[in-house]
Amino acid sequence: MNVRRHASIGFAVVTGALLASACGSTSTVTAPPTSAAASASSTPTAAAVQTGNPAAAQTLSEAGSSLLYPYLQKLAPGVNAAFPNITLTPAAGGSGTGQSEALSGTIDLGGSDAYLSAAQVTANPGALNIPIAVSAQAINYNLTGITNLKLSGSVIAQIYEGSITTWNNSAIVALNPGVTLPSTPIIPIRRSDSSGDTFIFTSFLSATNPTWSSGPSFGTTVSWPTVTSELTASGNPAMVDTLHSTPGGIAYVGVSVEGAALVDGLGEVDLENASGSYVQPDTTTITAAVTAGATNVPASLAAPLIYETGAQAYPIVNFEYLIINPSKITSSDTALAVRTFIEWAISSTGGATTDNLNAVGFVPLPTTVIPLVNTAVAQIAG
Amino acid sequence: MLQWVSGIAATIPLAGLLFITVILVVWAIPAIVYSGFTVLTNDRFFIGNFYSTNFSSVNGVIAPFHASYGALTFIIGTLSSSLIALVLAVPISVGGVLMLSEWIPRQLEGPLSTFLELLAGIPSVVFGFWGLTVFGPFLGVHVFPALSHLGVVLPFFKGSWAYNGQGLLTASLVLTLMIIPIIASTTRQLVKRVPVLASEGALALGMTKYEVVRVVTIPYVRTGIIASALLGWGRALGETIAVLLIIGMANNPPANIYGTTSTLASTIAADLDSALSDGTGMALRAMAMLGLLLLIMSLITNLTGRLVVRRISSDALPVGRGV
Repeated sequence: MNVRRHASIGFAVVTGALLASACGSTSTVTAPPTSAAASASSTPTAAAVQTGNPAAAQTLSEAGSSLLYPYLQKLAPGVNAAFPNITLTPAAGGSGTGQSEALSGTIDLGGSDAYLSAAQVTANPGALNIPIAVSAQAINYNLTGITNLKLSGSVIAQIYEGSITTWNNSAIVALNPGVTLPSTPIIPIRRSDSSGDTFIFTSFLSATNPTWSSGPSFGTTVSWPTVTSELTASGNPAMVDTLHSTPGGIAYVGVSVEGAALVDGLGEVDLENASGSYVQPDTTTITAAVTAGATNVPASLAAPLIYETGAQAYPIVNFEYLIINPSKITSSDTALAVRTFIEWAISSTGGATTDNLNAVGFVPLPTTVIPLVNTAVAQIAG
Repeated sequence: MLQWVSGIAATIPLAGLLFITVILVVWAIPAIVYSGFTVLTNDRFFIGNFYSTNFSSVNGVIAPFHASYGALTFIIGTLSSSLIALVLAVPISVGGVLMLSEWIPRQLEGPLSTFLELLAGIPSVVFGFWGLTVFGPFLGVHVFPALSHLGVVLPFFKGSWAYNGQGLLTASLVLTLMIIPIIASTTRQLVKRVPVLASEGALALGMTKYEVVRVVTIPYVRTGIIASALLGWGRALGETIAVLLIIGMANNPPANIYGTTSTLASTIAADLDSALSDGTGMALRAMAMLGLLLLIMSLITNLTGRLVVRRISSDALPVGRGV
């Protein structure tokens, strides 16, 4: 009897504690963010950024975009060599993870293929999107014997909507005069997981096809139209594998794994750009796109580099961002380390070397964007 | 002191369940308010356009533009994939165990049951990977074409399938393999506990081995089989990564038995990262709501199972009830 009574007291203690912590955590979540408001008042004035080796050892934690992750792994030893008190610890996890953990202050830097939405900036005043490199995306297909297939964004949108279903559809034939296209069904392949690649791919479809724009629109996850032949894959390498085993398939693949796709013998689409010419992703065409897009990058740096004008401009290009919430960086040493790392990472004599960038298929930030980045970085004051 | 420790120890499972349930309910409430009963009737789930300057406001809850939290697709996907797996796994496991205990020579029983337990130890991501790269394409190329011909006799085998086999039936078959060890190992323990006296008595009465199994063994282990089937069902309901890789993750109920669809668990895993970047925070609430639905489904199957077991089991030795 005595045992039972004590046991029930134990029960009450454990349950009470758990429920109390439950209520505590949820009320924190529902409460409006007040602490973040403080940093909103700091206005960007000078573009001169204070950098240097912090007095004490600083570890910068990063998590997020799996596309950016290999690049940051390349940068980590370099920044430590240049500034012995700065250690960068990159991790993957996905762009959404990067955004939310950086905004909440769990990590210092959030890697993301996508810039913050207006709603996120409203909820986290002062949060920064800081581009550190430029990436792009290729469209691949599996049709034996057909090279340099030409496609437009609008046609690809219709394929992913299910209204164009065979390779010899008149819309595709019209773009490829003189090419004999098979009557094979088209099998669209898309990402099943949340993905920055889906974000830039659907941004491109939205920019080129009004029906797509008003329908699925764009995001890291979208409401894909029902296409019965469609296949899904989780992660970029799986996209390449699935496309490889699927005759008649079409897929979107980040440039960092495009090498693997080409080794596999898959075709790379010549995409129609805004000026009506057909281009494949390479350093020249990506740089052309980012140079064109750099002219209208806003101070928030939230800029899609999709479907830019210019005869050479590749149409699916994006900034790779580090998301930073300055109001969560309280130590001035940490702030100094963050500023120093970013300035080093975007410098051609620091992290943005041709070797580092080529290893993952990225291109450097255009020089016209650097002042905007400096202004943003100066807001990280600690 | 011992009383306290044991009291706390005995409480942790219950408190843990209560804790998770309360968290899920509290988190899910805004999504449930937003969707109302359409959660159960609407098959359109979309976390919304985060980058739109517009927002959807329903019942005072603000969510991203075009957000729709109908879970019917996932409920259908979860139930159909797990039930197909269960329907296949129970007879295979029970038949296999009876074979193992009654007809297969003793020397082989040990190694065979070890294999069964090894099957239980394979991580689910390995099952998923194998299903995606080997088993699915094999089914899609060699098995489904033949199965669809059966559609003339069995109409539910009619329909088209994905070239690489992605879809409901492939996922169900992989789930079957995953839950066979759970059901079989429990059944094996039960069969071992059938009183020797009863089965030998039946043999002495002149019954054949088949009759002993039917009249003595099966009635004796019946409730246990149901309980183990429910364990297996619970595993199939909540299986995430293998299903995510194989079922095709389409946003619609399956068009036919081969069709692509999604389940509650696999959708949470696939969309969670996107949900984290929702500025209104509602997408995370919707994820919690899917989690709550999954929890409720597991609880219902579990409780129903317990009811069934209580109904058909009694104090009397069940031997001979099958006669």
